[in-house]
Order: sequence, then C-alpha cells, then structure tokens
Amino acid sequence: MSTSVAKEGKKMRCAVMLKPSKRGSNLLALTSRRSFTFSGSKILDRMAGPTPRQAVRVFDEENNDVTPQPFYRADLRAEPGSRFLVDELSAGSTSDQTTFTGSFTMPFSRSVLDSSRISSQSTTESVNEEMEETFCRRDFPFNLPESLLPDEKRKKGSVKEQMTQALLKGIKDILITETDTISLLDIPPTLVSVNADDADVIIEINKQYSEVCRNRRNNEKYVDRAVQTLNGATKNKQIQNNLMLMVDTATIVSAFEMYAPPEQEVMVYSPEMKQTNDAETIVDSRRSPERSLSLTCSASTVISTCSLKDVETVGSSLNTQVDSERIMTSDKFQFSLLLMERTVLRNNFQSQLAAYRKLPLLQDPDRLVKPKEKEQSEAETSCSPALQCLWVFSCELSRGCRVSSMAWNKKNPDLLAVGYGETDYRNHGPGLVCCWSIKNPMWPERIINCDSAVTTVDFSSNSPGQLAVGMCDGSIAIHNVQSTDNKSPFISSRECAKRHLGPVWQLRWNQQELSFTGEEKVESLYSVGADGRICKWFVINGGLDCTDLMKLKKMNNTLRKTEQNKPEKTAECVLSVLTPGLCFDFHPSDSNIYLTGTWEGNIHKCSCSNGHQFLETYRKHFCPVNCITWCPLHPDVFLSCSSDSTIQLWKQDCINPLLSFTSNQPVGEVRWSPKHATVFSAVNEGQLEIWDLNSSFLDPVIVQPAAPGLKMTSLLFASLTDCVVVGDSDGQVTVYQLQNLHVGESSQDNHMEPAAG
Amino acid sequence: MLTELAHAEETLKRIEGHKGVIGTIIVNSEGLPIRTTLDNSTTSLYARLLCSFTTLARSTVRDVDPQNDLTFVRIRSKKQEILVAPENNYLLIVIQNPSE
Repeated sequence: MSTSVAKEGKKMRCAVMLKPSKRGSNLLALTSRRSFTFSGSKILDRMAGPTPRQAVRVFDEENNDVTPQPFYRADLRAEPGSRFLVDELSAGSTSDQTTFTGSFTMPFSRSVLDSSRISSQSTTESVNEEMEETFCRRDFPFNLPESLLPDEKRKKGSVKEQMTQALLKGIKDILITETDTISLLDIPPTLVSVNADDADVIIEINKQYSEVCRNRRNNEKYVDRAVQTLNGATKNKQIQNNLMLMVDTATIVSAFEMYAPPEQEVMVYSPEMKQTNDAETIVDSRRSPERSLSLTCSASTVISTCSLKDVETVGSSLNTQVDSERIMTSDKFQFSLLLMERTVLRNNFQSQLAAYRKLPLLQDPDRLVKPKEKEQSEAETSCSPALQCLWVFSCELSRGCRVSSMAWNKKNPDLLAVGYGETDYRNHGPGLVCCWSIKNPMWPERIINCDSAVTTVDFSSNSPGQLAVGMCDGSIAIHNVQSTDNKSPFISSRECAKRHLGPVWQLRWNQQELSFTGEEKVESLYSVGADGRICKWFVINGGLDCTDLMKLKKMNNTLRKTEQNKPEKTAECVLSVLTPGLCFDFHPSDSNIYLTGTWEGNIHKCSCSNGHQFLETYRKHFCPVNCITWCPLHPDVFLSCSSDSTIQLWKQDCINPLLSFTSNQPVGEVRWSPKHATVFSAVNEGQLEIWDLNSSFLDPVIVQPAAPGLKMTSLLFASLTDCVVVGDSDGQVTVYQLQNLHVGESSQDNHMEPAAG
Repeated sequence: MLTELAHAEETLKRIEGHKGVIGTIIVNSEGLPIRTTLDNSTTSLYARLLCSFTTLARSTVRDVDPQNDLTFVRIRSKKQEILVAPENNYLLIVIQNPSE
C-alpha cells in the first residue's frame, strides 16, 4: 500500500480508476479523496453527499491501489503515539461536532500541519488508515445517527482510558519523519539552460521551427487560415450624465503678431469708459463684437472697451481733449498732415502734375466729361509750338510781392526757392523767400521773412539745405531750409564790415577745385553788388566775411578817352570809380573764369586768380546788362540780355557778338534751355519769349504775353522737364509747359557753327 | 509746443479748404473721433469702419514682410476718395471728392 502510494506521488500523470471497496463507509474515502490532491492524479468524480455506503477504491493504470487513504488509521490506536493523535483528533473533532464538512477539513488541515510538525511514525497512508478506522468505528460526533456506531463509542472511551494511563506512566518514543514534499503547483519553465541534458534537442527543435516560420510564406505546405471568433451578443446599457457645457474659443494668429509685439496692446485701458453721448455710437459698438474679426489684439480690445456701458461724461471730455492735444503736437502728426495735404492736392492737380512729370495722363473713369472740356481738349491738340500753363504757385503771403529771383534746389529738383521783394530804390520794404515744392502748389514748404527786399537767391550744391539770400540792403543771409524754424538765418553778413553797400544783385555758389588736392571741391559764395565789387564770402566765427575778388572799374571813360584822344580827367567820375555789377556767371567747366555784366553795358571776362585785370571785355550793350548766362551744352557760348531790348549771343574768343536778337521791351532775364542747345528763353516785362535758333533768328518761336497788369520779372527753366517757370510782379510763379517744340536732340555744335560763321 | 499746435491747426484748416475735400476726421487710438468736420453719425461710422480696415491693411502688409509697415491708405470709390494716414496712436482721415 505504502509503496504504491509512493509511486503514485512520483508519477506525473496517471489514470485513476475508482472501484468500490467493502470497507466501512466510504464517506471517509470520499472525503479523504477529495481532501488529498496528489499532483497528477485525476479525480474522476466528486461525490458530495454522504450517500454511497460502499468504500470506493481508486486504482491506476497498473492496477495499483491508489485509493487515497485517510490520515488516520484505526489500527494504530493501539500504539500510544496514535492514541495521542486520535485523542487529539477526537478532541479537535468534538469542537466541530455540528458541522459535517468541518470535521473533514480538519483532518486535512491537520495532516498538512502534521507534515511540518509532529506526526506519527507511520507515513501518511498509515495515518489515513488509522483515521479511517477511527472514524468508522467510533461514533461520529457530527450529525450522524448515533445508532450507527454505538460500539465505536464504547471502544473509543476505552481507548481513551488506556491512553491516558499509559501516557502518564512512561516515556514514550516519538519518531518524527518528514513527509514528501507535496507539490501544489508546478509550472515548468520554458527556458532551458544551455548546459542542460536535453538542451541540444531543444535547440534543434527551435531551429527547425524558425526554419518553418521562414519558409512558411512561400511554402505551399502552409496555408493561412482565418478563424472567426464568435462574438457574444452585445448588451446595451444606458446611463445618464450631467450635460457638459462646451465653450468654443478661437483666435487667428498672424505672422505679424508673432513677429513683433503689437504696440496697440499698450493702450490706456481705463475702466470708466470714454464714450460720446451719442446713443448711436453705443449701439454700434455693442453690435460690433458680434461681427468683429478677431484679427489683432488691438481690435478686440477696442471692441471690448467699447462694449462697456459705464459712461463718465466729464472724464471723457477731458480725456479726449488731452488726447487731441497730445496727438496734434506730435511730429508724426505734422508729417501725416503734410502727406495728407500733398495727397489731396495731388488728386486735384493730377493732370497738371502728370504733364509736368511727363507721365501719361490717365482719364478718370468716374469723372463726367463735359462737352465743353472735350472741345477744349480737341482745340489744344494743335501742332504749333505753344506754352501751356500748368499751375501757379501763389499764396496769400506772396500776393502783391514782386518776384525778384528764383532758384532750383540742387539736390531736390522739386524744390524752388522764390525771392520776393520790391527792388526799386525807392522803397526798401521787407522781403520774403518762399520755398515751394512741386508737390504742393498751394502753400510753400518754407516761408522765410527777410528784413529787406530780396534780390537774389541761390541754393548751395555741397550742402543742399543752405540757401543764400541777397538783399537790397547789401546783406547776405544763409538760411537752412531743412529746419522748420524760420526765425533766424543760419548766418548773416549784417555785421560784416566789408559787406556790400548797395543791393546785392547776384549771388552764386561756386565750386572750385583746390589745386593741391585736386579732387576736393570747395564751395564758396560769390556775390556782385551795386558797389561794384565782386566778393568771395566765407564763414568766420559764425559770420560771413569776404574778400574782394574784383572791383569793377568803370571802363567807358577810358574808352572815350582813347577814342577822342584827349586827355580827360577822371575827376568826373571820382565819386564812383566802380560801376555796379548786375550779374555774373561762372563758366560751366572752368570755374576760374567768370563773366560779369555791368551797369555800363560792358561784359567783362575775369579770372578768380587775377583780381586786377579783366581778361576780356565785350562791348555791345549800351544799357545795363541784366543777365549773362553761359550755354550749358556748348562751351564758349554765352548770352547776354540788357535793358536795351536786345539779346546778344557771344562766343568766348570773339569780341563781337555772334548774333543779336531784338525784343520789344527791356529784357529782364535770359536763360538757356538745359536740354536743347539752340533753345533759350527770355522774359521782358510784357511777355515771355522762347527762341529757337534752329527755326528762326529773327523772331521767337513762342511768345506768351503776360496777363494784363502783370509784369514778368523772373525766369527759370525746369531741369528735368520741358517746363518754364516764370515769376511776375504779383507774386505769382507760373509753370508753363513747352509743347510741340520741334527740336532735334543732337543740336549742339552743328548748329552753333553755322551761326558762328 | 504752442506753435506746433498752431501750425497743425493751420495745416488742417488748409487741407479742409482745398478743392473737393468733404471732411476730415482725427481718430485716437481707441477708435474715438477727437476732431471732425462731419456730423456725428457719419463720423462715428467712418471712424469705426476705417479703424478696423486700417488694422487689417497693416497686418496684411506686415504679414507679407514683417519689416515693412503701412504708411498710407487710399480707398478710391466711384463717388469719393477716402485717405487715411495711419499711425500708432491716431488715424487722420480725409474724405475728398476729386472729380469736382
């Protein structure tokens, strides 16, 4: 028995057969069978109830009786050790008399405990038998009719007595053995050590498997098959939940915001709202959040501030006033105003400015073209040379003042300086200089008030912001037009001792190359005045000082002297040895040579290096020479005009003029055209004349009469366009455009030469 | 300070007197008109609309090139032209009818 059970323990799997046995009640067998779970033994049936009376015996495949034995066997009760155990068991069982199951679990637990603690000398099966028999024979203290086991009771009692007596008498030997280890759970590992015995086999198997896996894809032996799992029926369950409120917020971020922090965010956000009392404004601003575009933070903050409803009227008015002052005094506002004014005027003067700038004239599609205008435009498209008046520079300040001179800015060709002043010797009223811009024909950019009538103006080349103004009282002032402060001139020659005693008739900035440096151009201011001196001015100690370049001595007396061959005293003219110089002009290429025209009517060619002698004298005019100008396109040719109503064309090395042009009135100014070598313009009091040497020597090509009551006094050609600027005695500066002047571009030497001849 | 204010006033008056100018509005940074020559409803309408339009225009310009900035806005319509000089803390609006 014991050996069979021992074998039983070692076997992993075995079939166990149940055979009914004749031994007592099979209750114990059943229960003990249930209690003991040998690893691997298969329990075929579980019979819970205590119904079968027969003892069941379990046999394995080899017909070994592997019936699980109870822990306790009755025949061991004779031994003192077993009695002890039985006593214990009985003692233990009495406590569990009421429960049937409890008694059966108790021996089981006991057996487990026994395996670690004190146990009987016999193996478990002997204990089983012992227990079995004990339970069979003695009375079941648990719900079993006592009638079944009456005799066991008696026997149990006797056993009890014997045991206690025996125990008390002597020392008993107790043998302690350890039961076999009962495996409750055995999961063998899937890892096998390389050093194990069957490692090689396993490795081989693994290799084969991996091969199979690799070849599986292309191998016909292996077919993929899908298996469908059965899904259980779904069961719907409904729950209820609180509603979650969702709020959508969105914003659009543009690259602009990410690039720089929006400056508008640094706005003054005042809790009390500034709002006008207009109800409509409030309504509008309240409606705006709904349809606002969240473009920038500034826009949203504007709208959010507008949507507040508190209004503080007192605070609001103060705030807006402070705001307006702050805004209007800022520099940016001034610039914005300037820009705005120019834009507005550009809209108004769009056609004229386009003509000036030689841009194609765009027809405004929305503008209603009146039939009158159509006729006019048709009439104007004639082919004869004509002047078209574009606009007039005029403002209330300059009204009534006589235009004495004009000058273009060297750097900004849109800037025109106009000097106003009555230059009659009778009244020396205050003068005015206005700097006009083409972009604003209605109001000058700068207004400079001068103490005395302005006779001449000129812009500097080196420092284009400096404007030299010559005045009737002989003083010269240099103003800086870049600064908006027009109160005081930059430099003035008032305090200079050597200033001109009479009106300064002409000023010129001239650049001269210093011989030793070569490249550098030093610019100096030259002036010619009524006292007959030509001076070179330079800045010393914040003031102007001059050196005399030339003294214009009277020539005619000497001339008469030589003609008459009489020794005449020069005592007649001892009062004024010098004759007033009225104009002068430097040679365009050789800045050392200049021409000057005098009151006497002589034209002297002088050199800056020689202050005593004239290089050349040209005599033709017998009246004061009003203007001299070199031809910019042809060297050695110059024009002079004089009050004797003639214009003379000279060549530098020729004493006598090449050509003579007559006009009907004293010619005030004459100018060469900067573009066409054969075109020049002259202005006298009654009209403006445009001469073209190509077409006629006798008559001007275009004659523009002055408006009645006005005298034209000053003339300038516009440098970049074919326009002429004419100043008159009423303070108006008119811009004319030359039209249909058929002049070839290559008109330089080839036209001059035949004329010279 | 005072002369600047006077100068600004004078220039503004000059602009208002030019041919075709219907009205001028100066709007501060919050979109409220602080000076106007038009009636209240028109002023508030123009101020509100042009404020947002100008910010849109400015953000367009700066999105294309972040180093650029808006200097002037001209809206030409059939009947008039709206000129806006935008700055950080104000808007100068002039409405002109150029074809008069």
